[in-house]
Amino acid sequence: LSIHHLVKSVTKFLDLRHAHLYLIALMRPLIAFLPAPLAYGVACLRGDWRYRLDTYAREGIMCALTDVLGDQLNPAERARVTRNYFRLRSCEAVDMVRLAGRGRALARLVEIRGLEHIEAALAAGKGAILCSAHFGSFDSCFSLIGAHGFPITVIGRWPYKFGRPIERFFFQLLIRKPVEHHRHRPNIQPRGQFDTAVQAAAILRQNELIGICLDPPVLAADRRRAVPMDFLNGQALLLPGAIMIAQLTGTPVMMTFMRREADWRHQVLEISPPMPLDGDTVTAFRCCLAVVEAAIRQDPSYWSLWYPLSNLVKLGLLPEKTIKAHDKFEAITDKWSEWE
Amino acid sequence: MESVIITYIGRELIGEPEQLLLKNDTPLLESGILDSLSLLKLLVFLEEEFKVPVDEFELIPENFNTVNAICAYIRSWQASRVSQ
Repeated sequence: LSIHHLVKSVTKFLDLRHAHLYLIALMRPLIAFLPAPLAYGVACLRGDWRYRLDTYAREGIMCALTDVLGDQLNPAERARVTRNYFRLRSCEAVDMVRLAGRGRALARLVEIRGLEHIEAALAAGKGAILCSAHFGSFDSCFSLIGAHGFPITVIGRWPYKFGRPIERFFFQLLIRKPVEHHRHRPNIQPRGQFDTAVQAAAILRQNELIGICLDPPVLAADRRRAVPMDFLNGQALLLPGAIMIAQLTGTPVMMTFMRREADWRHQVLEISPPMPLDGDTVTAFRCCLAVVEAAIRQDPSYWSLWYPLSNLVKLGLLPEKTIKAHDKFEAITDKWSEWE
Repeated sequence: MESVIITYIGRELIGEPEQLLLKNDTPLLESGILDSLSLLKLLVFLEEEFKVPVDEFELIPENFNTVNAICAYIRSWQASRVSQ
C-alpha cells in the first residue's frame, strides 16, 4: 500500500472539498460554550460571512422570497431577511450545542411563556400536542420543554442519507444527540410505516406530550393523502395528521414558537392556549396553519424552509423550473445546510 | 362483526365505497385502504364498538391486513378476556 493510495483513500473518506466545513463543525462546540454574547456574536458573524460569500444560497433565498411572498418585501427588506436567515441558522446551531448536559446553557437564555397551558393539559390527563413549524430553533424548543421535565416525544424525520460517514458522525454528535437527549423517546420518524399515528396516540394516552411541525414537505408516498391548503400566497400540499390525531384522542393542540430578542442570544418561547379543534379536520388544520403563516409573515427569516428551494417545490409553493437555476448550489450544500 | 367493520371502512375510510367492492379478504394495507391515520381511526372505532382498548392491539401488519384478520384478532382478544 503506497503513501499515495493511503492519502487518496483518506481524502476520499473525508471529502476534503468540505474541509473548511469540518473545521467549522469541530469548532462549533468550542464557540457555543463561550460566554453567550461572544458565542452568538460569532454565530452572527458566521451568518454574515455566509450571506456575503454563499452567493448561490443568497440568490436562491431572495428568489424564493420574491416568488412566494410577492411584493410583501421591498428589495432592502429582502436583503435584510436573507442576511437574518443566515444569522438565525448559525445561532440555531449554537442553541443545539448549548443543549448538552442538562441544557442549562441554553435554558437560562430562554424565557418560556405559557407553560401553564401544558400543565393544565397534563392535569386533564389527555396529554397535549405542541405544534410548530420549521421556524427558528424549533428543534431546541421541543428539547427545552423536555429539559423542563415535561415528557415530550417529537414526530419528525432526521436526515438519513449522508454522502460520507464523517458527515453522519458530525450530525449525530452535534445535532441529534444533544437534541434527542432531552426528549422522552427517540423521534417517531414517519417514513410510510403503518403504525405512526397509533404510536403517537399511545403516547398521548400516557398523558405525555407530542411535538410536531405542521409544515414539512410531503414525501412522495404521502402525496395521495396530502391536502392542498392556502399557505403563503399559494397552495401547499400538507398533511393534517397531527390535528386528526388530536381530534381522535381528544387531545388539546397548542402552537409553540421561539423568537430571538434583538441581542440574538435571548429568546422567548411562547406556548399558545389550546387551539379550537371544532369542525372537520381540514378546518381545524387551516386554523393552526394560519397561526404558522402569520408568524412567517411577521418575520420570514425565521422559516428555514426557504432553502434549499427543493423544499418549496415539494410543498408546491414553487414550480420545478425555479430549482434548475440553482441546482448547482443544491448539489453542493443540500446535505450541509441543515446542520452546518 | 365482519359486516360492521366492512360498513365502517366503506363509509369512513374509503371516500367512494361504491368504487371498491370490499370483501373480508381484501388486503387493506397493501391496497392502501389502511394507512397510518386510517388505522388509528379504525382502532378508535373498534374500541368503541367492541371494547378492545387501542393500547392492547398488537400492532403487527398480520393483524390488520384483512377484515378477517381483524375479526380473528378481536375474537381471540375477547376469548382471552373471558378465560381470565
